[in-house]
Formats: sequence, structure tokens, C-alpha cells
Amino acid sequence: MLLRLQGISKRFGRDWVVRDLSFTLERGEVVALLGPNGSGKTTLLRLMAGLLKPTRGQVERAGRALFLPNPPAFHRHLTAREHLLYDLAFHHQGKEPEEALDRFGLPGDLPLYAFSSGMKKRLALARLTLLFPDIWLLDEPETALDKGGRELLLSTLAEARKKAGVVLATHDRTLAERVADRTLELGVA
Amino acid sequence: MKLPVEGWPEAAGQGRVGVVRRVVLLALRDLRLEVRDRAGLLSILAFFAVMLFIMALALGPEEAPLRRAAPGVLWVALAFGSTLLSTRAFALEVEEGTLDDLLLAPGGKEWIYFGKLLFQMLLLLPLAVLALLMAAGLFYLPLERLFPLFLTLVLGVLGYASVATFYAGLLARLRGREVLLPLLLFSLVVPVVLASVRATTGLAEGLPVAEISDWWQLLLVFDMVYLTASALLFPVVMEG
Repeated sequence: MLLRLQGISKRFGRDWVVRDLSFTLERGEVVALLGPNGSGKTTLLRLMAGLLKPTRGQVERAGRALFLPNPPAFHRHLTAREHLLYDLAFHHQGKEPEEALDRFGLPGDLPLYAFSSGMKKRLALARLTLLFPDIWLLDEPETALDKGGRELLLSTLAEARKKAGVVLATHDRTLAERVADRTLELGVA
Repeated sequence: MKLPVEGWPEAAGQGRVGVVRRVVLLALRDLRLEVRDRAGLLSILAFFAVMLFIMALALGPEEAPLRRAAPGVLWVALAFGSTLLSTRAFALEVEEGTLDDLLLAPGGKEWIYFGKLLFQMLLLLPLAVLALLMAAGLFYLPLERLFPLFLTLVLGVLGYASVATFYAGLLARLRGREVLLPLLLFSLVVPVVLASVRATTGLAEGLPVAEISDWWQLLLVFDMVYLTASALLFPVVMEG
């Protein structure tokens, strides 16, 4: 078991966004979160990552989790290479970013304010492959990606499945059916 | 591109060297962002220049009142400058949405506090020296005892920045943080500002070091207390 949620509920003010949800994630498993806007997919991912505290219930993690927000978050005055180098250092990893930059077709020396949304999404995927957490939490990873980017996403997910567990929130049912072992359908609470 | 602390023992990884390396890297990264962005740095420089100039015009041109007011004006400028800077230290992360990445890095959250504090010190100390030189020029503040003056700057700025960084982190994700920060901060750092002003006044008046050292000791005690309490509480307040 990589991740276990037991009776999780989350309230913002008076509104319950997640109510009494239990869930487990095993290594080698890909789970897709489906549901309309406002159904709590992103909140659930943030609860899983430990970025939010549940109002009720417990979250147990048996590994390192990373969260890919939508849109991905980067410092726009750094270049892609600088960003990856700092990320690697903050995560105590002595890898080189060059291979990942090449694989994802990214210019290493361009400041990120010059990157398109699709390029930023590719960089976020490159970052994840370098940091390679045990638990991948992806919020709409397919948005803004072109055909080539989508292929890269599929190969990245296949790679992640071998050693880690993945939870991805998406509106794309085709993607969910193609990559996920099971789906979790959320409704508006 | 080579990171500034590349070559430090990577194998030390998650040990003490690893933590120090991350603290230094975070501070240098923020420094790089601040220099490239320029807006924050220029606004603080403009603030120092305008404030000191207006106060000099208001209190001058006679030397005696200017000289008497110099330590107070200098430390008020530094206090406001430090507040502006501490807001920016976390605003950088909040505006870009990158604070979550730092919080998910392994090995506690204290290193984020120390990294942000070091960033502030690296930026604020040269600015404090610049403000001191401007105060010397506009307010007749004597600079003969430069080392003791610098020591006072370091102790005072450290005490102020240690609390400011903590509160800036605490308020980072709240709306209206720019209003709340000074309100919370100023009540707590009054002893630091008072001790810094008294030590600077003593140096300007030519008092012997033995008399001023009491203020330095007080500053040192406040620095240690604020640093320890902030480092211990920071991980708690950064919980989601």
C-alpha cells in the first residue's frame, strides 16, 4: 500500500468539498479521478499530497508524493535548466537535467516567461521523471499538450507505473480508459 | 549552468551538509529571481532614498537636530525596508504557485525558513550599509566607528528579519497579508528596534563600547530567542 485515505472529509467554510471518502493506491497502479468542475478532484489530490489537512479522516503515505498542479507552477525568471537543477538540489538528487530536457523537446536556456502552456506542461513532466516520486499526483496532465506531448505523457505514465503509483484527475475519459487500472467518479458534494 | 554551490558533497545528501546546501541554494535562487525581476529591489531602494531625503528636508538644515534624529530615522527606514522584503520573499512563491513544491521537498520545512531568512539578510545587509552611508551624508551621522556600527546593523537586521520571515510565511497564503504583516510584526519587534536605535545613538555620541555592549547583548538575546522560536514554529504554521 502506497497511499491510504480513511474516511476523508474536507470543508472550506460551510461547503463540504469531499465527504467521507476512503481510497487506497498500490505501487504499479494508475487511478483516474473523474468528475465535473467543482467535484473536489484537485482538493482530493492536494489532500493526498499532504498540502491540505483533512477536516475529518486520515491520510497515510508510504512514500514520497509530488503534486503536478494545473497549470504547472514555475518561476518565470528562471530557465528550464536552472529550474530543474534547483528542484533536483532541493530534493537531494544529483542527476543531470540534460537528458530529460532533450527527451521532452525543451530548450534549456530559455526563460520560462517565454514558454507556452504546452511547453510548461512538458517541463512539469520532465521534472517528475527526474524527481521520480513514489506517488504521482497529476491534475489534468493532458491539458495544453499537443499530439507529441500527449505521446510523451503516455510514455511517462507507463514508466511511472513500473515503480510508482499514479493518481490523475482528468476530464478526458479516453485518456482515463487508456491508462487507468480503475476510475473514481466524484460528484458535486 | 553551474549552481553556485555545485561540488559540495552530494553524498552527504540528507545530512547536515545537505540541509545547509539547500538553505544556501534557496537563498541564492531567490536572490537571482529578485535581481532578474528588479521591481522589488528598485522599490526598496527608492523607498530608502525618498524616506531619508524627506526626513532630512523636514528636520534640517541645522546639524544638531539632524544628528539627533539620525539613528531613529535610519532604523525606521530599515524596519520598513525589511518588512517590504519579507513580504516579497514569500510573494515570489505564492504568485507563481511554487510554494507547494518547496513544502513537498523531503526533510522537514525548517530549511525553507532559513533559506528565506538568508535571502533577506543577503539583500538587506548591503541595503542597510547603503542606508547608513545615506544617513551619514544627509544626517551628519559619524562613521568613525564603522565596525561597531556594522555589528549593530547585523544584530538589529537579524532580529527584525527573523520575525518578519516567520510572519511572512505564516501569512503567505492569506489575502490582505500586506496589511496584516506590519500589524503583527511591529508589536513584536519593538525591543529590537529600540535596542538598535539606542546602540546606534550611543555610537554616534561617542559613548564607550562597554556602555553600548549592553544593548548588543540584549539584541543578541532577542535574535537567539526569535530565531529559535521561529524555526520551531515555522513547520507547524506551514501545515495545510
